[in-house]
Amino acid sequence: MQSMGIERVESSDAELVCRVRAGDIGAYGALVSRYRDRLGRYARHMLGDREDAEEALQDSFVRAYRSLARCDDPARFGAWLYGILVNRCRTTGARAARRRRMFVRDADALQGAARADQSERLEWTDAVDRALARLAPEYREAFLLKHVEDLEYEAIAELTGAGVSALKMRVKRAREQLQRYLREAEHV
Amino acid sequence: MFEHEEDVVQRVVQQLRRPVAIDPALDARVMQAIAKPEPPARSIWPWLAAAAVLVSLIIWRPWSRSAEAESATFQFVLVAPQATSVSLVGDFNDWDPKRSPMRTANGIWATVVQLAPGRYRYAYLVNGAEWRADPGAPTVPPPDDEFGKPSSVVTVGGKGS
Amino acid sequence: MMLALLLVAAQVGTDPRLDRLDPDTRAQVATVMDSASRVGLPTEPLIQRALEGATKAAPGARIVAAVRRLSADLGVARTALGTEASVPELEAGVAALRAGAKPQVLANLRSVRRHPLTMALSVLADLVANGVPLDSAAAAVLALAPKARDADLVEFRRAVERDIALGAPPGAATSVRVNVGATDVFAGLHNPGAPPPPPRRP
Repeated sequence: MQSMGIERVESSDAELVCRVRAGDIGAYGALVSRYRDRLGRYARHMLGDREDAEEALQDSFVRAYRSLARCDDPARFGAWLYGILVNRCRTTGARAARRRRMFVRDADALQGAARADQSERLEWTDAVDRALARLAPEYREAFLLKHVEDLEYEAIAELTGAGVSALKMRVKRAREQLQRYLREAEHV
Repeated sequence: MFEHEEDVVQRVVQQLRRPVAIDPALDARVMQAIAKPEPPARSIWPWLAAAAVLVSLIIWRPWSRSAEAESATFQFVLVAPQATSVSLVGDFNDWDPKRSPMRTANGIWATVVQLAPGRYRYAYLVNGAEWRADPGAPTVPPPDDEFGKPSSVVTVGGKGS
Repeated sequence: MMLALLLVAAQVGTDPRLDRLDPDTRAQVATVMDSASRVGLPTEPLIQRALEGATKAAPGARIVAAVRRLSADLGVARTALGTEASVPELEAGVAALRAGAKPQVLANLRSVRRHPLTMALSVLADLVANGVPLDSAAAAVLALAPKARDADLVEFRRAVERDIALGAPPGAATSVRVNVGATDVFAGLHNPGAPPPPPRRP
């Protein structure tokens, strides 16, 4: 069949996982590039810090590679990888928060003068980040997975180990608290 | 007057769904990290790995060659979807493009080399003519770059230090 | 002149890898190598620099100048680091010198660090190349050198690079990270059961 324009021919996750298991390391590079942006976004919002997010992301990719034999359903590699990242973000949250406080304070001191010039859009972005950071980690996790990553409650339950009804409650609380925090910051 | 909760959440979600910046060198770091240890476990692989180590020890006799004993395997990765060939050249292969040709999968070029502790200059030669530095490594600064074509630097530390 | 150069080259036995150079360049490089080896300096770095120039199709004069300059800098590095310095240490020392470090900085590093200096010198050079003021970079590496492992130094360099990429002034990023890095080094010493750090680029 003849085609026109740009044609993207991509291997499925299952094919790539099989190639990696057969020793083709390069195929894992394709999986990394396929998932890096989406998982990186989750890690960034969950941990609130680019450096911590990249560290968690890198570590998750490496852990996933080393335990690829335990990925029972290669067609669901993405969901399995998500699970590793969700766990990784949980376990490093406290340590990351300690370091973040330390550096953000210094960065604020260094760059305080520039803040006056921020545009309204940057203020909104900042307000959302701050509101998100104020949520309890389990609320933030549930909200991001449900509304930003667009996962079904059953899938989130599988990833987090929490029950569906508990997750629904967490998402509800997260929505309420986000609105309150943004209202306090007068951005709504 | 405050917005309705649904509208606020929609605005927040819209904001949070925007792409975030990820270090472009992250892919290379992942590929380099996974090149070092054992491949994904399969039931027969641990035995094969053990046999390979035994054979390696017999052939290389690392106890009599300390520099090689400290060397480690590194994977070099370059994302170059448009390239038709990429070679890794550097202080570790006499800058010979034939010694470390890179293999590609979906535009990600990779090759593996053994490096003993030290500081090495290297570069990628794309399509036999275009020189590229490694975006994920320090670049040789201008005063140290006598030949006017980009190079990168990798420093391999000692395991015990 | 040409004949004399060729005679010198024949006398020291030119490395066959240098056959990629044109005869005139090869002879001049061989002369530099001969001078270096007479004073006990390593010649392998000189060969690699010449081969880099050849592969990059640089003019012969530029290759010879680069090799000559490297030989001289290796000599300065050895004076600063001592005759026991390894070849990788000398090469990293050259990078630090070219980044602007005074020979005294190299000597100070030698006196405070028990482990090989290759990584410490390299990190110093790489920080300066990233825009960190020389004094800040040297002070940071000197502060970390006594206790930091090579992996800690690499982690330190990467953390500073990321902070700079995120907009922090290079000097300030370095001093902030020295404090964090020092804390982490001590934490590692007091907590041997802590999980290993994630894998890193070298």
